[in-house]
Amino acid sequence: MSKLYNPFILADGNKPSCMQMLQLILDGEASTEQQEYFKSHMDKCMPCFKSYSLDMTIKELLKTRCCGDPVPVELVEQIKIQISQNMSS
Amino acid sequence: MEETPKQHYSDIEKNDIFNHEFLPHISSMYNFGYRLTLDRDDAKDLVQDTYLKAYRFIESFQKGTNAKAWLFRILKNSFINDYRKKTKEPSKVDYQEVEAYYNSEDVDRQITPDLRVESLKDMIGDEISNALNSLDVDFRTVIILCDLEGFKYEEMAKILDIPIGTVRSRLHRARNLLKEKLSEYAKSMGYKNTEL
Repeated sequence: MSKLYNPFILADGNKPSCMQMLQLILDGEASTEQQEYFKSHMDKCMPCFKSYSLDMTIKELLKTRCCGDPVPVELVEQIKIQISQNMSS
Repeated sequence: MEETPKQHYSDIEKNDIFNHEFLPHISSMYNFGYRLTLDRDDAKDLVQDTYLKAYRFIESFQKGTNAKAWLFRILKNSFINDYRKKTKEPSKVDYQEVEAYYNSEDVDRQITPDLRVESLKDMIGDEISNALNSLDVDFRTVIILCDLEGFKYEEMAKILDIPIGTVRSRLHRARNLLKEKLSEYAKSMGYKNTEL
């Protein structure tokens, strides 16, 4: 692979910004080739390196701290009752 | 979502799909309903309504495909068509402005508000949750789908009926707004000079 080759470059030839590259990495939407490229890019780009840690932390915190309350126990039963009533009517 | 040819299921098959493919997602559905309405009773109604619709239209669902995305799409549509109309809460987001912002050259310059990983880790769950809940519902939605539920951009585009490019730009803007909110909390907790 050429050193200058950037697998993030779009079909129209436009180079995506750091934030656009980072977003694909964070969300698991980047290809293996793009992940490799971004890893070495982060070694040279401090803002990307810092943003990566910050954004990853926020993503993890959201996942672990916003899972909400348990489902009300009666909800499944209510749904099933409603369905069987609708079916028999 | 793609039109699938109508399926024909026996009552036993319907119940099997309902119990084994739909019901396992009820926790995620309830959380989604709650994050959209910010009210537990409304969330319950929305989930109940979604499951009743899912059962009624079960023959539009192809067994073994992405039930979670299908259910999320029904819930989102119920929220927009029934709940939002009832509460008369129109969308406040100017998407043209958002798109223009995302595509502008300024996009990388302004971005990161004052925020550090350390200050984030000291936050208790409430701050993160409150910051998320404070976002406009359309921005909140993309974060829920992507970060809480792990949907891919393509699935989100289908759930929300928007192009993938819009998913990306809305997500980008939503995250910046969330960071601004978290940054305010960090400052109020006494973190100073937290510029990244």
